[in-house]
Amino acid sequence: MASGIILAKPQTEEDPPYNHPQYKSTALRGPNRSPLIIRPGLTELHGPVFGESRIRPNDNDLTAQHPGEPIGEKIVVSGQLMDSDGRPIRNQLVEIWQANSCGRYAHALDDHPAPLDPNFTGGGRTMTDNEGRYRFTTIKPAAYPWGNHPNAWRPAHIHFSLYGTAFTQRLITQMYFPGDPLIDSDPIANSIRDKKVLARLVSAFDWDLTIPGTALGYRWDIVLGGSNPTPEAI
Amino acid sequence: MNGTKMGVTPSQTIGPFFKFGTEWMASEDIVSQGASGAIVLQGTVYDGAGDPVPDAMLEVWQADQVGKFPPDTTEGWTGFARRLTDADGRYVIRTVKPGRVPDATGELQAPHIAMVVFARGLLKPVFTRVYFSDESDANASDPLLAELEDSQARSTLLAALEDGRYRFDIRLQESSRGPETQFFAFGE
Ligand SMILES: [Fe+3]
Repeated sequence: MASGIILAKPQTEEDPPYNHPQYKSTALRGPNRSPLIIRPGLTELHGPVFGESRIRPNDNDLTAQHPGEPIGEKIVVSGQLMDSDGRPIRNQLVEIWQANSCGRYAHALDDHPAPLDPNFTGGGRTMTDNEGRYRFTTIKPAAYPWGNHPNAWRPAHIHFSLYGTAFTQRLITQMYFPGDPLIDSDPIANSIRDKKVLARLVSAFDWDLTIPGTALGYRWDIVLGGSNPTPEAI
Repeated sequence: MNGTKMGVTPSQTIGPFFKFGTEWMASEDIVSQGASGAIVLQGTVYDGAGDPVPDAMLEVWQADQVGKFPPDTTEGWTGFARRLTDADGRYVIRTVKPGRVPDATGELQAPHIAMVVFARGLLKPVFTRVYFSDESDANASDPLLAELEDSQARSTLLAALEDGRYRFDIRLQESSRGPETQFFAFGE
């Protein structure tokens, strides 16, 4: 059988490995066998389409989801979602979730003894526009400690969930903030061995996104690999 | 465009605390109860100690019963479901068996559902395919299943029909629960 389904080279080799001893949770959860590299079939070359109808007002403004103002530094996070050919990914779902300005998640199992903010949940979603742009208004999350190793702290980050036009492009990742001194010692960030690749996860301070008197702005563009051989052409 | 590729944004773990951000979309089924051809796909995610993984998020994506994808599908069809595993590492999805669709070389594949799993401890997700154990003729001619020389790995891709439901467990590593699930990465 030489159907040409099994391939030698993956689309992207820049993702972190499954097994990364510095990040303890990989030990029992990262697969030990290498994934089989295959040519995607028609199913994997298509992907879910989400309608605008799923988005409610204020889903992209995490500071306006409760009766009061959340505590913390208000920020705008915005950028463009593209494929690796630089084509915008239009009208697609972008989701985020994050800790509050004290480094605490609105999650039952987060036992970090920092205050919860009754005016901040930390979950948001939006659709990209016709140029693939997204925009969130939120509160700058704080760093938080975790049990991975002695005195372990995660750098401040926002979790992002992204879809392209193909299932193969599915990505969940984390956006970091420029100049954060914790990035260099973070096992999760440094699971990406190439510093130039890691730098793609660090947003840029952007005056054009700031709202005078109200919010600082961070720009973060996202490029999805696994670029689709133009689904229209299939 | 001009042949220059953009630097791809790398993956990071979903972490342990994603529920409040992702559960809004985690209860929708692909078809409703009583829909024609409805099946139940369920299973458990296990780690390398054989313990259930209670903090995984999995998503499935598939063609409809005649092998079509949106926008060529009937009104209301999404083909997509997201689940957060429960305290026992389990998920349940009501869907239909997808039709047969071709692979990239045009060969017809056996019915299968694409699946992706995220969890704390996974720095990038695992992708797999759910085939159906009761489709032996189609499975025998499926180009990917045919290429899998390791019959144990092949068996991890087959959802077993048990009490009228399809069971598909995901084993992130080999353990007392069975062999590691065959995972895939995509090339071009
Ligand atoms: Fe986090």
